[in-house]
Parts: sequence; C-alpha cells; structure tokens
Amino acid sequence: MNDFVYFFTFQDPSIAFVVLGITLLGIGAAYVGTFSFLDKKALIGDAISHAVLPGICLGFILAGQKDPAYIVTGAFVSGALATFLTSWLRTNTKLSEDTIIAAMLSVFFGFGIVLLTVIQKTGNPEMAGLNQFIFGNAIAILEEDLLIYGGLAVLIIICLSLFQKEFSLLVFNPDYGKAIGYPMGTIRLVFNVLMILSVVIGIQAIGVVLMAALLITPGAAARFWTDKLGPLLILAALFAVISGIIGTYISFVFPQMPTGPWVVVCLSTVALISFLFAPKKGVVFKMVARNRYLRKSHREHILKTLYKALEEGKESLTIEEIYEAFPYQTQESINSIKSLYEDQLIIKNQNVISLSIKGKSAAKRVVRLHRLWELYLNEYMNIAPDHVHDSAEKLEHILTPELEDLLENRLNFPKLDPHQETIPRDHDEL
Amino acid sequence: MITQVANPILEIHDLTVSYDQSPVLWNVDLSLPPGQLIGVLGPNGAGKSTLIKSVMGLVPPTSGHILIFGKELNSVRSKISYVPQRESVDWNFPASVLDVVLMGTYGKLGLFKRPGKKEKELSMECLEKVGMQAFFNRQISELSGGQQQRVFIARALAQEADLYLMDEPFAGVDMATETAIFQLLKEMTQEGKTIVVVHHDIHSAMNYFDWLIMLNLHLVASGPKNEVATEELLRKTYGGKLNLLSKVSELIRQTDFNPLKS
Repeated sequence: MNDFVYFFTFQDPSIAFVVLGITLLGIGAAYVGTFSFLDKKALIGDAISHAVLPGICLGFILAGQKDPAYIVTGAFVSGALATFLTSWLRTNTKLSEDTIIAAMLSVFFGFGIVLLTVIQKTGNPEMAGLNQFIFGNAIAILEEDLLIYGGLAVLIIICLSLFQKEFSLLVFNPDYGKAIGYPMGTIRLVFNVLMILSVVIGIQAIGVVLMAALLITPGAAARFWTDKLGPLLILAALFAVISGIIGTYISFVFPQMPTGPWVVVCLSTVALISFLFAPKKGVVFKMVARNRYLRKSHREHILKTLYKALEEGKESLTIEEIYEAFPYQTQESINSIKSLYEDQLIIKNQNVISLSIKGKSAAKRVVRLHRLWELYLNEYMNIAPDHVHDSAEKLEHILTPELEDLLENRLNFPKLDPHQETIPRDHDEL
Repeated sequence: MITQVANPILEIHDLTVSYDQSPVLWNVDLSLPPGQLIGVLGPNGAGKSTLIKSVMGLVPPTSGHILIFGKELNSVRSKISYVPQRESVDWNFPASVLDVVLMGTYGKLGLFKRPGKKEKELSMECLEKVGMQAFFNRQISELSGGQQQRVFIARALAQEADLYLMDEPFAGVDMATETAIFQLLKEMTQEGKTIVVVHHDIHSAMNYFDWLIMLNLHLVASGPKNEVATEELLRKTYGGKLNLLSKVSELIRQTDFNPLKS
C-alpha cells in the first residue's frame, strides 16, 4: 500500500519522469498502431519490433556501452531495412505478404540473438542491461534516455495529429488520394518511419518482442467500443497508457519483474473485457439481447395462447393447460406467467388464468402482426399459405408500430389472413 | 468508327497498358468533346476501368500519352474528379458519410489543412444533390451498396471539377436512383461539365449517353451515340474477345521483356 501511495503521488521525480515517458510512449504507439490495424497491416508492426534487435546489438558494439543515441539509431536502421526489404520483396517476387513477414521476423530476430550472445561472450560489464531490451524494464530507464524516447514520442504524436486527414486517406482509399494529387508514396513513407520510430521508443520500456502488442492491441480493443475515428484514437491511447502505467508500477514494486509482459497482460485484459462487454459488438451484450428477445417472445406466445382460447369461446385456461401448450419449457412458462401477472396483463384466480383488458389488447396486437405478416407474405411474395407460419411466428415479436401501419395500409386493412382467420383490431369484440 | 474532335477536352494517343507484362488495352487513340455525357461500354475484362485509371495516372501506360484540357495530368488535377469502384475500399473504416464526402475537398485544401465550415457546407450541398443529406452522420459500414455509390458520387461533386471520371457508379444502384443520378449528370453537362461513365447496362446506356466509347481490349468505336450505336459495332464489342489478340497477349507475357514498352 505504501508503495502504491509512493508511486502514484509522484513524490519521486524519477517515477514522475518514467510515468510521463510511458504515457507519451503509449499514446504514440496506440496512434500509429490503430492506423496500421485499420490498414490490416498489424503483422508489419510485429516484424519491425523483432527486426530492431540486431540494430540494438550493433549500436551497442559500436558504442561499447549502452548509449541511447547509438542504440536508437541502430534500432531505427535495422527496422527500416526490414520494412524496405518487406515491400521490395512484395513488389519484386511472387511471395505472399505473410510469407515475407514471417521470414523477415525470424531472420532479423535470429541474427539479433546471435549478436546478443556474441556480446555476452565478450564479458563487457556494461552489457548487463542489454537483456532488458528483450522484455523491457521501464523503471531502469535513466532520465537522459527518457529525453530521447519522450522527445521521439512527442514527435510521433505531433506528426500523426498533423497528418490525420492524410493517413485516413492512405488507409481508406489511397488511389483516390493519388487521383486528387496527394503524394501518397511520400505519405506511406512518413507513416512507415513513424511506425518504426514508435517501435524504437518502446524497446527499453516494453522490450522488442512485446512492442507489437502495444501497437496493435489498444486499437483492436477500442474498435469494439466505437465506430468513429476520433474516439477510437483517444480510447486506444487511453488503454495503452493505463496498461503502460500498471506495468511500470508492477516493475517498481517487484524490481525483478519485466515491464513488457505485464503491460501485455493488462492490455489483453482490456481487450478481453472489450470483446465480452462492449455494447453492440460484445459477446455478453449480444447474449443479453438474445435472452431478452427469447423472454419477450415466450411471454407473447402465452398471450397468444390465451387469445386463441378466447376465440374458441374459452374465457380462461388452467395453468396446466398452458404448461402443456409449451412442452419442455415449463420453467420459462412459470417465469413468463409471473412477469405477465406483475405487468397486469393476465388475471390469476388460483390456477385459472385469463387475460386482463390490457392483456387482451397486447394479445390482439401480437396476433394481428402475425396474421398481417402471413397475409403480406402470401399476397406480395407469393408464398403458399402453409409456408408462412414459421416466419410470422418470429417476426411478430419485432415488427414496430410504424411497420404495422405500413402493413395495414399496403394490405388495405384486411379482415382475414390466408388461413381465413380474423385479423383482430383493438375495437373488435369477441 | 472513331470520331476525332477539334478542341478536345481529353485526348488519348496510342495508349497501350499492360498488367504483368500482358497488354490489356491496345493502342487506344481517341479524343472527347467537352460538355457531354460519355459512356464507356464493353464486356467484362475489356479494359474499361483500366482506361479510366490510366487517365488518372493510377496505372502506368506501357506506351502512349494522354492530354487533358490540352495539358499534362499533373497540372490540371484540381479540374478532374474521380469516382473509384465501390469495392476498391474497406467500408468498415470508422468514418461517417460526411467524412467521406469531405475527402472531395481535400484536393483544394492541400496537405495539413483540415476541412472547416465552408467545406462542410459544400459537402452537405453535394449530399443533398444525391439525396443522402439525411444520412450525413451515418457510419459508412451501415450503408447499402447503392447508398455507398451515392456517397462516392457526392464526394466527386465536392471536388467541383470540370471533368468527371466515374468507374461503374451504377453497379448495385436501384432503377429509381439510377434515373435520378443520370438526371443530375445531365444537368451538369448542360452547365458545361464533361462526364465519362464506365457503364455495364447497354439498355440504359442507349437512353442516357450523348457519346459512346466501345472497348474490347482495343478501341472498337468512339463517337456520337446515334452514329456508333449500330448492331455491327455492338457485336464487335460484345461478341467475345478477339482470339488472336489474346494469344499475342499471352505470348508477350511469356517473353522476358515487354516489346511494346516505349
């Protein structure tokens, strides 16, 4: 708890610095990543994040120590080389994109690991921290390193904000951009540079291997919540920043814990929650909507059963008769009868059930929609009377009053359905 | 039957275009008059879209050259508007109808600048012309195919160009909308705009266009509708691909270089 207060009150300026750095990094990575996710180029981020490792090692070998300028430059150059090779191979060979990306990723990363092993063999005392580049350690970042990483992150955020219109065009309709005279090739190049930079700035905090997750997951998770680009970018940035700070906090409390994996764990949790609970697109939301529909349809089927009994001259049904009408659904019937009673749509007299006045009107509406739809299918779509029931049985629960009016007008307020049954109206007496 | 005109708005000289080295458009040479509604007809794979795309500089010509308003493409881009095929974009992109129409104003806006009130008003006017103003705030993923086409046409209108090139703008559009949009295009030609439309339906083409370009890997005809809409030319256009031409294309594809490249 003390750790928690100490960390989040930022009394230690170095913690404040790290949190600021991780925030900028999160925003930058989420922005770039969201665009590449929308562009369906998520794997490129993965390839780049693996491909920067040999550059980091070469930078270290050349500088002889962990000099951030050398390491950033090295990482950028090898990331750029991988990106360039990927697009060159795509245009000049018949290999498919996923093959090329898989090859780039493993070749560069393998080479990086070889270099890393070579460095370890030299016994350079400076190399102790180099392993951190694989999984990241945000707390170990020095303030002067942060200036470089933070500065680059600010550069990325500014570029993306300035070019938002151009990058949207690049993702949505690059041919059109070209047709109106925009330099789409240059815009693609700028975007690729930003993409590489966003990987490069994350290598110390998150690590090369997992940087891809920070690029892609925020955008993918945010996509469940919104259909608008502005809110999508903001939400993605928020997800990335929250996960980044939590990961950093865990590294602070348990210094042996690498930051990257914890950031990824947080991000995955956010993505899972989005997948399950987001309105409209979430799995749980869809399930709830389906259950609500099933409950409504069962209630309305009971109303209909009571109404049909009324048509045959029976004022009421016993509760057993209703259970029998819906075999294997007794529990649903019990629930529906309870809720219909609560809504005062039915009258219960011990175990005899009849429709209230309000209930009659509701039942008439369902029967009316059912029979109107049957008639519509029969008259306008030439479907035989013995084939129309199933569709009407489902649609009677969802047709709106506006559609009901439309059906009535189209069919000219008919009296009978295709089975010669009366279509009931509110003022009709039975 | 190719009619050349004096003072053309668009002239194409000996244009040959190849994909993967095999020519898909052979030696097209034509010129188009201004202020007309021009239809590009031909069977599937005849090179109709390729013709439009090469005018817009989206596919490089193997040989030949194109002049628009008597100039090179790059110096007159702001006067040309392009409607790509509907299937060429991902409609799941998070954007509203208005966002897409606003793209029509990007050309005049230039880089960096964001569209403001003036651009939004213009875009709303263009949406009104295609009968989509009520949908301005709708997500593009929720539109029907015909509505997507109308959004693309509105975007082209927002460019306020003089020459419009439209690639299959009526694919998936219902009859009532097609008639309304043709009416709109007709009015635009009366204001002096030139509109070139790639079209798949011969029947409606005969009703609406003033001028027809007929393609079948090569240029079969280009001229006023009542002169070129003959049974013989239609048969030449739609009566299957020229066997010999296809064989030569295949032969070029198999060679190590493209001999037609200039």
